[in-house]
Amino acid sequence: MKLTFSNEDERFREEIASWLESNLSGEFAHLRFRGGPGDEHAFPEDRKRWEQHLAAGGWTCIGWPESAGGRGASIEQQVIFAEEYARAGAPGRVGHIGEGLAGPTIVEFGTQEQKDKYLPGIRNGTDLWCQGYSEPSAGSDLANIRTRAVRDEASGRWAITGQKVWTSLAHESDWCFVLARTNPESRAHHGLGFFLVNMHQPGVTVQPIEQMTGTSEFNEVFFDEALAEDIVGEPGDGWRIAMTLLGFERGVSTLGQQMQFQNELNDIVKAARANGAAWEPTIRQRIAEAHIGLRLMRYNAMRMLSADSQESGASSLVYKLHWSSWHRNLGALAMDVLGPEAELLAHPPYELTRLQALYLFSRADTIYGGTNQIQRNIIAERGLGMPKETKGR
Amino acid sequence: MDFTFTEDQLAFKEAIGRFLMVEAPPEMLREIWETDEGRSPELRRKMAEQGLTALSVPEEQGGLGMDDVAWSLLTQELGYYAIPDSMADTAYVAAGLLAALPEATPDRNALLERIAEGSIRIAVAHGISPLVADVHMADKVLVHYEGEVHLVSKEALACQRNTSIDSSRRLSRIQFQPDSSSRILGAEAGTSVWAETLNRGVLAVAGQSLGLAQRMLDLSVDYAVQRKQFGKPIGSFQAVKHKMADVAGAIEFAKPVLYRAAYALASGEARADLHVSHAKLACCKAAWLSARHGIQVHGAMGYTWEADLQMFMKRAWALNASWGTREFHQNRIADIVLSDGAPIGPQFTFGD
Ligand SMILES: Cc1cc2nc3c(=O)[nH]c(=O)nc-3n(C[C@H](O)[C@H](O)[C@H](O)COP(=O)(O)OP(=O)(O)OC[C@H]3O[C@@H](n4cnc5c(N)ncnc54)[C@H](O)[C@@H]3O)c2cc1C
Repeated sequence: MKLTFSNEDERFREEIASWLESNLSGEFAHLRFRGGPGDEHAFPEDRKRWEQHLAAGGWTCIGWPESAGGRGASIEQQVIFAEEYARAGAPGRVGHIGEGLAGPTIVEFGTQEQKDKYLPGIRNGTDLWCQGYSEPSAGSDLANIRTRAVRDEASGRWAITGQKVWTSLAHESDWCFVLARTNPESRAHHGLGFFLVNMHQPGVTVQPIEQMTGTSEFNEVFFDEALAEDIVGEPGDGWRIAMTLLGFERGVSTLGQQMQFQNELNDIVKAARANGAAWEPTIRQRIAEAHIGLRLMRYNAMRMLSADSQESGASSLVYKLHWSSWHRNLGALAMDVLGPEAELLAHPPYELTRLQALYLFSRADTIYGGTNQIQRNIIAERGLGMPKETKGR
Repeated sequence: MDFTFTEDQLAFKEAIGRFLMVEAPPEMLREIWETDEGRSPELRRKMAEQGLTALSVPEEQGGLGMDDVAWSLLTQELGYYAIPDSMADTAYVAAGLLAALPEATPDRNALLERIAEGSIRIAVAHGISPLVADVHMADKVLVHYEGEVHLVSKEALACQRNTSIDSSRRLSRIQFQPDSSSRILGAEAGTSVWAETLNRGVLAVAGQSLGLAQRMLDLSVDYAVQRKQFGKPIGSFQAVKHKMADVAGAIEFAKPVLYRAAYALASGEARADLHVSHAKLACCKAAWLSARHGIQVHGAMGYTWEADLQMFMKRAWALNASWGTREFHQNRIADIVLSDGAPIGPQFTFGD
């Protein structure tokens, strides 16, 4: 165990901190503290340009191996990057699904040709990705996917037909990784394929879904014989690949999010001190609890990431449940700190304040990426080896 | 000891519930939100025709002369249907305040008569919150000023309008110059009138919150019965149904507290504050839990604008801190329970 950063790490910190300091200015200055969950509608075009600017500075995909276009940054350096990025108030990343999910999956399972084809666009911030898993009848029961992939024997290409739903940022995306059924006879997690689909083609229709925030971050996506550019792995490998990807979703890619959480908690502390709520005993205690919970989360993430394969896996199983529940409570704390003013919008007709956006968005944290109930089932069944609840089929 | 309601009270509640179900479906509430005023004069008129505005106006002024206990039932209906109107502020809180004024107070009787017939809107600015509901539509505003009661017309106020996370709420910050012409009651008598008014405002919020809790529970149970995953209704999973059971528990345990508080107010008990604050905490907790579990059970669907659940959740969240934050009410209870001679011995089941 060694709970400090090395001199080399500290030099890395200075490098990224000063880069952000001098680059988050001018045409990008207005992006500070904008974007991210609950605020994705803020300046999407400017944030795309920022993503490319970040890439030109060599600051995207830093954890990817050098062979894939990354820096091969250590976990420590990725932590430092996330800390400094949040501290500077740099904007929510539009490329996070590509960098955190699609990219690592292609690195692990893709052919060399596929790597050459897809990774540079992610690395350069020019290709944005979305995640096409959920369907109307496949939410928690993800394996109930009905979207079909049919192979044209002559051209060898796959055509995708079906409907995805709740697809975050599909309206801003160039590519979608789609889980679809390659074998029409198959059931559950058998017979699925993992496809890479270009969003800019006639067979793809994106329909925004309005959220209770009044904005639209997720969408319905309809595929009508849309051509898949590639399949990753073989037909039938889809489930295994999709699950590995979910592992990425719950791993390193959450570091940035934790640092965002710290910013939010700081905002709440500031508000509580300003309006006197900080002197209410119950509020004080909840702020202390929030601080403790966030520390727990950060230490656990470090332990999980540094141990890698050494840990039993239990720590990664409990992680999503912990952070989602913590964040949901943080949202409630924010509202209670603001008291009667909490309900006031920033502007009519329906522009939320930052803390309201936090409150509302954090209601969804316990739902996406595996609901709290599903997480608990996983902990009990996979982590503790308890018997499975009976399913209807 | 009798926790039951009279036939009249129950019949009235049922009639109003049936009426609101037909007259104020969610689609219509959404339409009303979209209007600038956010209020439907027609809905208000129909509610008056049902006798709602006359409910607690004294019989001498043409009202039905019912009391807080009846309102504890009716506010639940207003919450259950998320009525976009501060009707209870006029018909319950303001009517209660006006009725408590000395008979000879100028305008008292005329105002009460107008409330009963449904031809006036009165907003109540107690000062516990910097935000006052529905000043923009009010014909008159009752304003607390250092214990005094002032009756002010909207034009005499500086009023800054705000929008709420709950699209049906219309809130204003107000400023006004008190003078002797607007004063209808001095501080000496006013202080106790305002104390009672605060409790009525709180009780109205508590009742609505409980109604909201029930509505969100009903919506969520319906959803859990219909929505299937893993080849079964999600409601068949213990993780889901236990959440619904917890909400049912919170609602059932809030009901008698609400009724106890209404009774304390109606009979002028000295420690009504204790009961009223307890009711607010219990009812808001039930609503908050019902919202939290409700959205969870709805999955991503619950996070959409389209699903009606959001309408009720947002109302519940907005009401949570109106007419006193949780901390305010906890402190009121603690102050009484920790005071000398607090009525907390075994002999005080109904002690006031
Ligand atoms: C903000 C947001 C963004 C999203 N982004 C994406 C995206 O980009 N791409 C994508 O593919 N998907 C996305 N999703 C979808 C998300 O993954 C699903 O919402 C989630 O998997 C739950 O599915 P569901 O909404 O259909 O709820 P359901 O599965 O219908 O669940 C409803 C309720 O039943 C419970 N339940 C279900 N099964 C069980 C069981 N066996 N035991 C106990 N309880 C159970 C659930 O816990 C939940 O409380 C997003 C969702 C949200 C809210």
